[in-house]
Formats: sequence, structure tokens, C-alpha cells
Amino acid sequence: MAGTMGTSKSEFLASVRRALGRQAGPPQPEYPRLAQGVDHLEEQAREVRERVRAKQGALLDKLAEVAQLRGWQVRRTPDPEEAIDYVQSLASGLGTDRVVRSSQEVFETVPVDATLTGMGIIVTEVAHSEGRSRESLRERVAMSGMGITGVDYAIAETGSAVIVPRKGLGRLVSLVPPVHVALVRPEDVIESLDDLFLLRRLEYMRNGGDKGPYLNFITGPSRTADIEQTIVVGVHGPKEVHMLLLG
Amino acid sequence: MPEVKTRDFPAASAVSILDPQMRMALQRAGSGFDGARRECIDEVTPEVWEEWREQAREVKLHTLDHLDYYLEILEERVSANGGQVHFAADAAEANAIVADLVRTRGVRVATKSKSMVSEELNLNHMLESIGVDVYETDLGEYIIQLAEETPFHLVAPALHKSKEEVARLFTEKLGVPPMDDINALAAAAREALRQRFLEADLGISGANFLVAETGTLVIITNEGNGRLCTSAPRIHVGITGMEKVIPSVQDLAVFLRLLPRSATGQRITSYVSMVSGPRMQDDEDGPEEFHLIVVDNGRSRMLADPDLREALMCIRCGACLNICPVYQKVGGHAYGWVYPGPIGSIVSPMLVGLDEAPDLPQASSLCGACREACPIKIDIPRMLLHLRHKLAEEPDTGSPAKGTMPRPIANGFANVMANPGLLSATRKLARAAQTMFLASPISPLAHGGRGIRKAALPLLSKWTHSRDLPELAPRTFGEIWKQELSNPDEGP
Repeated sequence: MAGTMGTSKSEFLASVRRALGRQAGPPQPEYPRLAQGVDHLEEQAREVRERVRAKQGALLDKLAEVAQLRGWQVRRTPDPEEAIDYVQSLASGLGTDRVVRSSQEVFETVPVDATLTGMGIIVTEVAHSEGRSRESLRERVAMSGMGITGVDYAIAETGSAVIVPRKGLGRLVSLVPPVHVALVRPEDVIESLDDLFLLRRLEYMRNGGDKGPYLNFITGPSRTADIEQTIVVGVHGPKEVHMLLLG
Repeated sequence: MPEVKTRDFPAASAVSILDPQMRMALQRAGSGFDGARRECIDEVTPEVWEEWREQAREVKLHTLDHLDYYLEILEERVSANGGQVHFAADAAEANAIVADLVRTRGVRVATKSKSMVSEELNLNHMLESIGVDVYETDLGEYIIQLAEETPFHLVAPALHKSKEEVARLFTEKLGVPPMDDINALAAAAREALRQRFLEADLGISGANFLVAETGTLVIITNEGNGRLCTSAPRIHVGITGMEKVIPSVQDLAVFLRLLPRSATGQRITSYVSMVSGPRMQDDEDGPEEFHLIVVDNGRSRMLADPDLREALMCIRCGACLNICPVYQKVGGHAYGWVYPGPIGSIVSPMLVGLDEAPDLPQASSLCGACREACPIKIDIPRMLLHLRHKLAEEPDTGSPAKGTMPRPIANGFANVMANPGLLSATRKLARAAQTMFLASPISPLAHGGRGIRKAALPLLSKWTHSRDLPELAPRTFGEIWKQELSNPDEGP
């Protein structure tokens, strides 16, 4: 392991302490948040879930409205058949012959494979297995015209899809293909950033660590305004993002 | 460190101020960013905005006061997640850590997402010197790298470049045919960089925030290059200043609300990525190694000075640049180092040494617009004044900032101002002189009979060279008060 370079942790912290005019040994700061135990967070999380359930209809409306404003193309339908039709028409409009999708529960509700395969499209499911290396998965993702994923959370406040990559849900599926379709179930929707971070923190404390080491907010297409303040979409990520809201 | 040219501020700004294209770009960016920022404030209401600012400020103040504690937790948690934290006292150490990783891991190609701290370290230069092909991947940074320049703005590094200049640069460096469409230029950059992403061994990112409790690096981006840099290569190295720590993820919400709105007027950026460690055993993709380099490089000097500690709360949104009457005239390069604008006029002198940057604290009219715009309510004018005091108290710095007003004039001014009778007499004398000058058709002071402009007054010519001397009013407020307003019967 590297680690011989640079300053040791104890030396570095000692110099910070000197700058702060403190003696060795950091005092436990009285910061209310850090003092909260898991029980307290559980209680708050219960309240969040109840609130979100109680106002689910309004939150779905708000998510649809805000997501649209942030650059998602939003389609709402509680009907799985209609959802599949929407994916089908997107794929045929793109004229792509390869689609990549994650392995998530939501595809049991919205099984898109048969329809897409019927159109002559090769569907790759992300889940590395014996005989398929990470490199070959990456190549398949890079060749795909569309990536389809579920989401772990959708935030009404910001119009964001939140994805925690893990087994069956690669990081590149929602990033490398030029079109991303996010399937959002009503139970994925939460109200605010505060809700998200409370739930994440609780999970971290309960598990004694993060379930996934990576988390991404996606809010609209990839964009830049780095040349003459003119907005261009689809720089390094998708230029087109669709939110299919199943409720 | 990149070449420090902070001493050149007076000369560099005198040149840049005359560049019409830069003026146009500054105006477009300044009003665009700031207008969008103001719209956001109206949308959430100024009251809520103020609450957010207070909340964010409190988090930052608390964390800085206990920085040792939070850095310790951060290191523990990153390690527990399978990553490694390295501490670097200065730029040389930080570069040595990266160089060591490059050597021991056989790195040949690196992709980089935007990081101001890496500019501080001159990291690209070091990587190139040890044979690594390093590519900036943020479009603005990529343009700057191809042009071999430094960032012009904290958020929009290439805002001074016209699309024609970018097109010429791409044709020259990438061999693409000339194009005048911005979409086509962005597509050319995407094309050129896509292959680099897939072949890179090392992805380098900065950090907007570090969450101590969960050992998490947070980056806020729009293009997707940040996601690629932290996902595609087998090694991810995050490099950032030690002041970026906040206690818990629950503290992050308010910063995600403030930062994009203050920076570009976006409600949220396209992407927020949170990295807590290398990929797990079962993950489909992601780096095998995660390293976090926490850099001091002069920051503990700021931490140690209670008058300047506040500057470490900066979240690099650039809002103070967009409203600064000085930045808006002289542009980012005149500041001569990595951090431009009002906050840069504090941070740069503290990191490169006040003696090296004696003019930067003067590069402000102290109008207070920066303090008003700052999402963390950092009192920038107070700190600029503090630095001016420091400069004035050190007679041996050889500072060109001193002596802009000759000592006898300053002393005379102080005497007059301290003595009401003398002030009154001086005023009468000046008014008489003014009447006489204005009446004279050949007076250099008369300008359409309406004011005293471009007056080549003896001793004050340096001051009046680029400023108009305001005309004295026929009566002072004191006189008006005495003659008209102090009599309660007549009323105002």
C-alpha cells in the first residue's frame, strides 16, 4: 500500500490542532446531529414514510412537474402495458439495435425484454456472470443506444432520480448510452433532500456502513454552458432522459 | 505550484481592462449567472434563502472550529469503507502521493474532472513530467488545457473564449475541421474524450464536500464527466482541501440547495455523485481503489488567524465574482493565480503569501456586493480590510500598494477631517476655487460646465487618471440643516 508519502495522520491533525490553538485530543463537539442514536433516526424515518405515503398523490404530481422543468421527458402511467409501449416507441424512434438494462425488481412489473427482442433489438441485462467479464459488459453498454434502469429514490423537491449502483445495477447503464429511461414506482418517491439523507444515514448506521459505496442523483440530461454560456445537452452523459412514472 | 503572478495585478489588469471581447464575455456571464441566481432567491423567497444561508454558515463554522475531530472521523470512515486517505501538508507532498500511486500502479492515462485544488498543485504538469497522459474532461477545463491557460472563472473556466477561438483551438489541437456551431464543438470534445475515458487507468476528481460521518466525497457536476471519472478507471483519486468537510449527510441538503443556485442559477445540477469507497465485491463496475488526498497547502495559516478563518467556509460557487465591479472589469487572469475575484483576493494572498500578492486586497471597492451574494455570508470586505491593515503595518514589505496616497497628503487629509473648523474653511476655499475654475472657458477642469472631470490635479493625478472628481455641492448638508431644517416651525 502507498502511504509512505505525505504527512502522517497524527502529524497532520496535530498541525490542525495547533492552528486551532488546541491541545492534543479532539473534544467531542456538542453537535446535536451526531449525538442522535439509531432509535431517534428510526423514529424520524417512520414519520417520513408515513408522511410520504399519506401524500403520495400530491408528491407524484409534484415530481412529474419538477422533473419536466429540470429536463426529463416525463410520462405518467400506472398501466405496465402502456409503459412497455412507451419504451417500444422510444426504441423504434431511435432506430437502435442494442439496449442495455439493469436487473431490478421493477422489470418484473414492466417486463420490456420480450417486446424489444421482438423488434430485433439485442437486450443486454446487467449482471456479470461466469463467462462475461466486466470489460465485455462495458463494451456492450458502450454500444447500446438506450439504457433502462429503475431508481432507488425519486425526489419530488428536485425532480431527481437517485440510483445506488450495486450488483445488477452498473454505474454506466444510466450514463454512457445517449438515452436513459428511468422507471419510477410510486413507492420510490420521497418528498425532499432531507428525507433522502435521513433515510441514507439511518441505513448507514443500521448496517455499520454503506450498502453501496456510490450514489448518484440524476436530474435531467447531461449539459454544459462552457462555451459562450450557450446550453448544450448531451456532453458526456445522455442527451435525452425519460422518466416513466408508474403511478 | 503554478507560476505565481499575483504581483503583476496592476499591470495585468491595466491590459485586460482594454480587451473588448473579454468585456463582452464578462458582461454576458456576470449578468447571466447573477440574474439566474436572483431568480432562484425570489422563487424560494428571500426569507427562506436567508434561513438556508444561516444554516449553512453554522455548519461550516462548527466544522472548522472542530476540523481536527472531523478529519479524524473522515479518515476512519473512508478506511472502513475500503478506501485510503492521504494527508498532504503542501503541494509537493500531494504531488508526491499521486506520483507514487502512478508508479506503483503502472498508470499511463488519467482523466480528470474539475478540481481547483489540482490547479493549485499544478498536478497536470507533474503528471506529464512523469509520462502520464492526463486529460481534463470538463469542457471548459479541456479548452483551457488545450490553450495552455489557467481557469478564468471558478465555475466557468473558459468563459473568456469565443466560439471562434474554441473552433480554431480544436482545429489546431484535435485536427477536426473548422466549425462554428457550439453543439458541434461540444460533440467534438465528447468524441475526443470518450475514448480517453475508456482507456484511462486513473480517474482524478476534486470534491465539493467531504462527509465525515460516512466517509463520503461529494461532487456536483453537469456534464457527466465527473461520473465517468469516478466510475470507469480502475483507480479513483479524489484531491481536495481540508476545509471541505461537513459532519453528516444530513448537513448536505442545505448545501445542495445553495451551491447550484448561487453558482449558475440552477435549482440542482444534472448530477450529484457521492463516493464512499472502491467498488464492492459484487458491483458490476467502479474503481478497485479509492484514494482521498486531503491537502493543507497554506490552509492552516488561514485557520490559525481568527480574522481570516471565515475564508475557509467558501464553497467556490463564484457568486462573488459575478457581481464584483472589479472582477467584472479586469477578468480572472489578472489576479495572477488559481483563485480570482473577491474571495480569491483573500485566498490567494494567504496561500502564496501576502508579500507575493500585495495588490489583491486592494482589488476591491469594498462595496459589499460580494458579502451580499455569498451563500455562506462570508464577510469578504472585512477580511480584505484586515489584509490591508496587515500590509500597512508591515513597512518593510516593499508593497507597491503602500504609497498610492503619499504620506503628507494622507496626514493633511486626516488633520482636516479631524477638525470641524478647518474642514469648513477648507470646503469654502475649495468651493470658491471650483466656481472660479468652472467659470473659466480654458480650465482643464471644466467639462461641459457640469463637473470636474479627468482633472490633472497636482499630486492627485494618479487618482484622477481613471476617475472623475465629484463636483462639490453648492451647500453642505450641515449648512442646509442650519439654514432650513433645524427650525421646527418651517419643517422640511
